[in-house]
Amino acid sequence: MVKKLLQDRVYSLAITIVMVCLAASIIFPDNFPTFDNFSQLLLNLSIDTIVAVGMMLLLISGAFDLSVGSMVAFAGGLTANLMYFHQIPIPVAILAGLLVALLVGWINGYLIAYQGINPMIQTLAMLGILRGGALLVAGAGIQNLPYWYNAIGQSRLLGIQMPVWYMLLTVGVFSFLVNKTVFFRRYYYIGGNEKAAELSGIRVKQMKQYAFILSAMLAGIAGILLTSRLGAAMSTLGRGLELRVITAVILGGASLTGGVGKIPGALLGALFMGVIANIMIIARISGLWQDIILGLILIAAVWLDLVLLRRTK
Amino acid sequence: MRLQLIGISKYFPGVKALENIQFQLLAGEVHALCGENGAGKSTLMNILTGNLQPDAGQISLNGQAVSITGPAQAAALGIAIVYQQLSLVDSLSVAENIFANTHPHTRWGFIDYRVLYDRTTQLLQSLKLADIQPDSLVENLSQGQKQMVEIAKALSKQPDILILDEPTASITEGETQILFAIIRQLKAEGKSVIYISHRMQEIFAIADRVTVLKDGKYQGTRPIHEVTTQDLIRMMVGREVEAQSGTSSATREKLLEVKGLSGQGFENITFTLHKGEILGLAGLVGAGRTEIAQTIFGHLPRQSGEVRLKEQLLHIHHPSQAIHYGIGYLPEERKSQGLFLDKTVTDNVIVARLKAALKGVWFDFTKATELARQFKDKLRIVTPDVSQRVVNLSGGNQQKVVLAKWLLVNPEVLIVDEPTHGIDVGAKAEIYQLLRQLAAQGKGILLISSELSELLALADRILVIREGQISGELEGRKATEEEVLSLAAV
Repeated sequence: MVKKLLQDRVYSLAITIVMVCLAASIIFPDNFPTFDNFSQLLLNLSIDTIVAVGMMLLLISGAFDLSVGSMVAFAGGLTANLMYFHQIPIPVAILAGLLVALLVGWINGYLIAYQGINPMIQTLAMLGILRGGALLVAGAGIQNLPYWYNAIGQSRLLGIQMPVWYMLLTVGVFSFLVNKTVFFRRYYYIGGNEKAAELSGIRVKQMKQYAFILSAMLAGIAGILLTSRLGAAMSTLGRGLELRVITAVILGGASLTGGVGKIPGALLGALFMGVIANIMIIARISGLWQDIILGLILIAAVWLDLVLLRRTK
Repeated sequence: MRLQLIGISKYFPGVKALENIQFQLLAGEVHALCGENGAGKSTLMNILTGNLQPDAGQISLNGQAVSITGPAQAAALGIAIVYQQLSLVDSLSVAENIFANTHPHTRWGFIDYRVLYDRTTQLLQSLKLADIQPDSLVENLSQGQKQMVEIAKALSKQPDILILDEPTASITEGETQILFAIIRQLKAEGKSVIYISHRMQEIFAIADRVTVLKDGKYQGTRPIHEVTTQDLIRMMVGREVEAQSGTSSATREKLLEVKGLSGQGFENITFTLHKGEILGLAGLVGAGRTEIAQTIFGHLPRQSGEVRLKEQLLHIHHPSQAIHYGIGYLPEERKSQGLFLDKTVTDNVIVARLKAALKGVWFDFTKATELARQFKDKLRIVTPDVSQRVVNLSGGNQQKVVLAKWLLVNPEVLIVDEPTHGIDVGAKAEIYQLLRQLAAQGKGILLISSELSELLALADRILVIREGQISGELEGRKATEEEVLSLAAV
């Protein structure tokens, strides 16, 4: 029973995070275990996690999307551009940002699923296109966004900033849907064996396209949320986000070969990375070391998995 | 004595995979190794090729005790194996595959392509495989040709002992004859061959002696002319498996009508499947039978012709539509097309009808598990629990899982493509019984099989397909193997 729990990444990672937090609380009793620190920590990972939910779904189906980081910048930039330069009403501008995200996801999905372009190549190309697009719409940066737009990302509920609530809502809703609906269960089969899934009557191409649309939409939402939280749009937003998110999702139990992973794993992976980064800041370790440590942790986690797998075989 | 295994044992956690195995291989001998799936044949071969180390016992080669520590050493000792799963790289040429990692090189250390192709040509000619070009890409070869290249690759190392693991599983009758000629030639040169196969006819055609394993134990070795098929089956199974030919439940009521169907690799196929009927599709590998099935099922595009189910004209462009109308398809390649190996028995059983596990509008794991348990009991799927991953099951039980998937969907017409490919005699009999039961319930079964005895035992009628066309129709229980073969042969 204990062994089974440890083999499930969601549980083993949760236990690890709790232990790391306990240790940090003992070492840094004044700075780490405070409400402010935790609320800031969660706020910092909220945008990444919303994107990570879509990425988790893609990895379950056996694909991934490198264009999400640029999507964040482009969707946020476009929305800001429409509001600031064209005085478009807030809801309409947001809707336009989301529609563009949907369109990009549709194109990615169509070219990958129906035309057979490799997801790595298609989304790498889209990464470049959208980053260029972000430069076009946001240029050197757009500030002074409308008050009500900023309110979306800057208000608080129960003392916690709204992006944290949006993140928890996204994770909660998708965890439930992935467990409880036939539609989302299909992704596990597609990632497990595409051919067998097709011959079992699953419309694999269509489902794959939906996954890319969903991933792009969540990135679009994250982009709008990020610009609203910052009160500004910049073409450099979300730079490197795609690799951070993939790291988090792999830490959270996904595999590049597909078929495995759970939505809460996306949150836990991001949380683990956030906690480590947070502790390093409190311990006054140079930011340069963060990426090095996180890289080592990722290798260690995946390697540990392989060792455990070999043992059980 | 070329090779002698004395008291070989191998234990895995909780399983005695091999226990006190004796095996002797003479020079110039073809020695068949028989046993049901899970009998320990693969484990034994893995020990011979150095992939596994025995926990007890001794291996002696040409009278000298040896320990085989890995595949490279096995090759150095003159042992070569041709695996059931092909190990060729599709995107490289035949020559580069055959001399993988043993490329001839020039004085400067670069690959000498001229010598490489020359040697390949020589090798292929000596094996009478001149129709395979050394520079053609492996992906352009037929399944049978790939198997031949695999054998050529093993022979390129000039081994004294050649191990063939189910070599005829995916090749045609003609290619089998070429293979047998190669084996006889090796034998004449004093080489030894270990021949693993489920097919009794082949064993009797090519082997000198036969050794039988059962549940990891040695059952005995016999000269081939002293035993009969029944003897061998008794040794393998431990009981008699009678060749049952059940009664027909076929009616005159039309169920599936296929008219003038053409598609990839076949044309103008017309037949009718009746309620309660088992209709056999015979033919050589590559004759177009699988393509016909997958076109009816909507996986391959239909070029022309029509398919009707109970008089209703069907427009099927995707398997999901076929399933919706009541057509199921059990694919030929169990592992790559039928199963999700890393998923549980439950996941595999419910995949084609996930809605069966809904409670209200939400998916319910408990209900899914409950359904899978019912099928586990009904089909006697041997596994500790339905939460086991399918990869841990034996071939026969895996196939029962695929059948369970279709029983849950409960289609009017079930197309089964090589349903007993590579599974043991016991599970085979159970699957035959199951197909008969389905027919008795009024379903229509379209049975594609390369095993003639299977078609003759099960089918009410047999359609023979030759090069994508129907070349004849035979009455199942009265047809003979010769009649089928003469219609199938090119």
